[in-house]
Amino acid sequence: MRLNLVLELLDIPGQLIDALEPIGRLGANIVTVIHQRDVKTERGTVPVQITIEGDKDTLDRVITTLENRNIQIMEVDGVLRKEKIRTILIGDIVDKDVKDALNRLNVFEGVKVVDFNLKMSDDPEKSASKIIIEADYGKRKDIMKRIKDVGISKGFLVINEV
Amino acid sequence: MKLCILGFGAVGRGVAKVISMKKEEMKEKYGLDLKITAVTDTSGAAIYDEGLDPNLLLKIKEDTGKISNYPEYGISKISNMEVLHKVDFDCLIEVTPTDIENGEPAKSHILKAFNDKKDVVTSNKGPLALSFRELAESAKENNVQLKYEASVGGAMPILNFAHDTLPSCNIKSIFGILNGTTNYILSRMAKEGSSYEQILKESQEMGIAETNPAQDVEGTDAACKVVILANSIMNRDVTLKDVEIVGISKITQEAISLARNEGYLIKLIGEISEDTLEVSPRLVREGSPFAVDGTLNVATLKTDLAEDVTVVGKGAGSIETASAILSDIISIYKSKE
Ligand SMILES: NC(=O)c1ccc[n+]([C@@H]2O[C@H](COP(=O)([O-])OP(=O)(O)OC[C@H]3O[C@@H](n4cnc5c(N)ncnc54)[C@H](OP(=O)(O)O)[C@@H]3O)[C@@H](O)[C@H]2O)c1
Repeated sequence: MRLNLVLELLDIPGQLIDALEPIGRLGANIVTVIHQRDVKTERGTVPVQITIEGDKDTLDRVITTLENRNIQIMEVDGVLRKEKIRTILIGDIVDKDVKDALNRLNVFEGVKVVDFNLKMSDDPEKSASKIIIEADYGKRKDIMKRIKDVGISKGFLVINEV
Repeated sequence: MKLCILGFGAVGRGVAKVISMKKEEMKEKYGLDLKITAVTDTSGAAIYDEGLDPNLLLKIKEDTGKISNYPEYGISKISNMEVLHKVDFDCLIEVTPTDIENGEPAKSHILKAFNDKKDVVTSNKGPLALSFRELAESAKENNVQLKYEASVGGAMPILNFAHDTLPSCNIKSIFGILNGTTNYILSRMAKEGSSYEQILKESQEMGIAETNPAQDVEGTDAACKVVILANSIMNRDVTLKDVEIVGISKITQEAISLARNEGYLIKLIGEISEDTLEVSPRLVREGSPFAVDGTLNVATLKTDLAEDVTVVGKGAGSIETASAILSDIISIYKSKE
């Protein structure tokens, strides 16, 4: 079978070779590589399209190996990959209306709140809510900023991931 | 090399101690002969151009609390400016308390030393966080050196490390735990499940947190270090008021336990990146480089060529901080050989 991947590489020498090396070594065929160094993402990285061929096990191993090497895979067969973003809000969930905060996060494009958890305290101001968001790959920084803005505007203390 | 030490608290005394411990080693290894020609505290000074005895300085301070009681060479009620004017020295060691309103009196001490063509080594964050450019420019104009490794992360090597060990790299961002007291409090809250108030109280009793803990727990101390790193390593022109600051005093046990269920810890993190200059509580993964306990400091530098480089070390402590000051002194000495 064939798999189309879009990798996201840093714009420095050697990155592409590092990414291609395990593919051949694990026994997959490299069908095409499209590498345009002048096309950059908003993060300044270079997207590289590659098509590889092999049996399912081999292709799965390739993906795991690339991930272990911290090579970012943005798309698999035309589907944007998702990543999870976790946040904790501290503050009174009723008074500050955590539900409205969630709704305001859900309306952002490519963003979905997939998990919500509460830990109540006798002092409602000390209560904490955990929110897990699934978002299109590569939007982490942007979304974390939005979470912060929404949380702060509602009066919560926002604890984002590093 | 003759040293004038302003301030004889934990750090100043640490400097005297390491000089006493390492005097012979410095001579043998580097040919560096260190002499302390003046020391001051709030009582006055001890001044002797041929060099004071570090052990006697420490003993007098410990026994009487006043450096002006130093036999023969002690002087009471003399100002730091007068001392700087009067004493024969090559390098000022500025270790008076940090002031984050105007950086004084340290800032004036440093500028006076520069004007007199003396090098300066300091652990004092105040003047650096408020007037970095002014100080750097004055040092340049006067053709002298300003070194301040101890001001960020005590013994954790970061400033000289970035400048001297990674000169090939552009530093794109820095994330770090830059305050030992808050890291200690958060680590214990996570381990023991006690409240913030309870652990703060115990930390104060143990001398880890100060009686007035505001600068630590409200994030100002970490923010000063963020400013110093941004200016020194990332060539930004920023001061304390440019940092967005949230401290740890509102962190609750409820939040910590929710984080733990997900495999995360809450740490007070300083961030210097392209569009962000902030200190705030953040979620860090258990087992990641930021998951350090106790009073440790840690920082990860994201570089263009070497990817991530992480440093860890003791962020405070008398001898630990003095080690960074002594390293700066040695580096100034070597640069002149
Ligand atoms: N402690 C650490 O681990 C550490 C780590 C990194 C950086 N720093 C920084 O290093 C500096 C010194 O810290 P420290 O812990 O040694 O402070 P400290 O223990 O409070 O000692 C301050 C010393 O300065 C003296 N002093 C106060 N005002 C003075 C003035 N106007 N002129 C001359 N001397 C004056 C005090 O005199 P008396 O003895 O008479 O009171 C005392 O000897 C601070 O800026 C701090 O932020 C400390």
